Amino acid sequence: MERASFSRTRPRNVKFVVAGILLVLVLMVLVGGKSQIVRLGYQLDALEKERQELERTNRSLRIEASSLSSPGRIEEIAVKRIGLIRPSKDNIVIVKRTSGKKPHEQVPQ
Amino acid sequence: MMVFGFVIVGARLVYLQVVVRADLAHRAERQQEQMIKLEPRRGTIYDRMGRELAVSLDVESVYGDPSAIEDPRTMSRRLAKILSENPSALQRKLTGDKHFVWLSRKVDPAKAAQVKDLDPGAIGLKVEAKRFYPQKTLAGSVLGFTNVDSKGIEGIELLYDRALRGASGWVLAEKDARGRTVFPGGPGLQYQLPQMGKDVYLTIDEVIQHIAEKELDRGLVESRARGGVCMVLNPQTGEVLALSVRSGAHNRGGFNPNNPKDFKPDEWRNRAVTDAYEPGSIFKAVTAAAALEEHVVHPQERIDCSAGSIQVADRVIKDAHRNGVLTFVDVIAESSNVGTIKVAQRLGRERFAKYIDAFGFGKKTGIDLPGEISGIVKDYRLWSGVSLSEIAIGQEIGVTPIQMAAAYCVLANGGLVVRPSIVSVIRDSKGSEERPVVPAPPVRAISVETCRTVQKMLQKVVETGTGQKAKPSGYSAAGKTGTAQKIDQRTGRYSKDDYVSSFVGFVPAAAPKLVILVMVDSPVGVIYGGSVAAPVFKAVAEQGLAYLQVPPDDMGGRMLLVAR
Repeated sequence: MERASFSRTRPRNVKFVVAGILLVLVLMVLVGGKSQIVRLGYQLDALEKERQELERTNRSLRIEASSLSSPGRIEEIAVKRIGLIRPSKDNIVIVKRTSGKKPHEQVPQ
Repeated sequence: MMVFGFVIVGARLVYLQVVVRADLAHRAERQQEQMIKLEPRRGTIYDRMGRELAVSLDVESVYGDPSAIEDPRTMSRRLAKILSENPSALQRKLTGDKHFVWLSRKVDPAKAAQVKDLDPGAIGLKVEAKRFYPQKTLAGSVLGFTNVDSKGIEGIELLYDRALRGASGWVLAEKDARGRTVFPGGPGLQYQLPQMGKDVYLTIDEVIQHIAEKELDRGLVESRARGGVCMVLNPQTGEVLALSVRSGAHNRGGFNPNNPKDFKPDEWRNRAVTDAYEPGSIFKAVTAAAALEEHVVHPQERIDCSAGSIQVADRVIKDAHRNGVLTFVDVIAESSNVGTIKVAQRLGRERFAKYIDAFGFGKKTGIDLPGEISGIVKDYRLWSGVSLSEIAIGQEIGVTPIQMAAAYCVLANGGLVVRPSIVSVIRDSKGSEERPVVPAPPVRAISVETCRTVQKMLQKVVETGTGQKAKPSGYSAAGKTGTAQKIDQRTGRYSKDDYVSSFVGFVPAAAPKLVILVMVDSPVGVIYGGSVAAPVFKAVAEQGLAYLQVPPDDMGGRMLLVAR
């Protein structure tokens, strides 16, 4: 008599256990997913901060580059440190191409 | 007992999860959710070649929580050392029950780093945008500046503030127990993207601007003048390639928008558009153009200027130096008041007034700079017996430098009125462009033929007349000198020793690429435009044309011709 009742309840217990395990698995997936989203959210925040910092550095360097390449600074270096001078009229000869049939030259004075 | 316990726990669970669920969820939301404001970045101002003139950069501002500070006196002293601020002022701010006070706005990174670890619970750093002008004084009066809240106050920063500013956005994020921000992501993410400020591209060329500023500064120092203006324009389009303004002491240099507090308002005011002055003899080109267009004079007609003076109503107007009988071309070349007045009288007031209006005087040019005035031109019906003569030689009329430069653009480009402009294009973050100044259909003021005649007359001014010091080496040039008496504010009469000296013209003479105006306010000692302003014109023309790679057209025979 006891053996018969035991064999009827055993399949029911197994079903409960399996259902319980399945439920836990589903919950783990759900919670795991949410947890992943939160983790990614933290990463996103950190990356955003890093991006902002890099952008700030980039802009700062652009400002510095702009300042260093200002015409006034370039001219001062060219004239005072390197010794460049502006060409005078005597240093320039204009070479003009003509489309005449006979080639001709005019010697500069 | 166990069952009773489970019932109580179950009941509490039901109460929390069902009965007060909505209220608890709402309170949690308020605690965890925060609306993060997304600040737009202010747009950059570039020159015509895309070189930065005004840029915004994120910097840190220092704030304090007075309610969290136990010893404001000690804290304020520590902060004062780092921030170079007044310790008493800081102590006043840090005393009290407030939760937020600004201590120092937009500090440099080194100072921010020192403040960071001072007292994290009571002293904090907040990121704000700060405006930098990397070229310092270059085009300072044109750019203007912003206030500490990044709002445009002067110049282009003011006029185009709305386009530059953009619009804030927001994103709804969650805060965890440590206060870290978490973006919910997916369809739950609520946000509105900020509208970034648009970038403004000027017509100004950084290099030509530098040339104009450098040479104007040199001229002002040599003449010990009170201030001056130097402008360079493209005569075909009216684009302003350079606009240099100097006010105040002659060795002060230009306005630096990085430190507006170090300057007075007079020093950042853009006199090229805000101030009118009596132009003097440079206005004779307008008189000449009107007379030639109306055929009341021929260029080679001989006019007797030998008297050296002319009686007009109750006034006697003299020439600066004695002339004999001159052709009309030489009347302009030698800047004879007598000859100019005689020709102007043939025009009559109504016709002369018509040309004054046609050249754009007495009304705003419409240039996109704030504070432009119309100048002072009396209605011809209200002119006195001497007005026509005075105006013909550039007195009794108030013009702004931009009006005068625009008038010479008419003479340089074949007779068409062009609208000066200083902003070329506005570009948004997606690359879409808009042109703030739509060129109006050109209006003809004088004929092409009259223009050519006036160009030749003005060329003679430079070759053999009063403007010889304006002749750029290797190039032809056309222009006019001017030396105008200023009004003595105390007496209301023309001063005997206070002048405005000018030279305005275009280069090269036959195919003009640049119109250049130089105005020097109150030079000391030598006062003539031909001596004070003309050399500045020459230097700007030489360097400007060389930079633009315009081939010299007056080499005096130094030319090698080679066949193809």
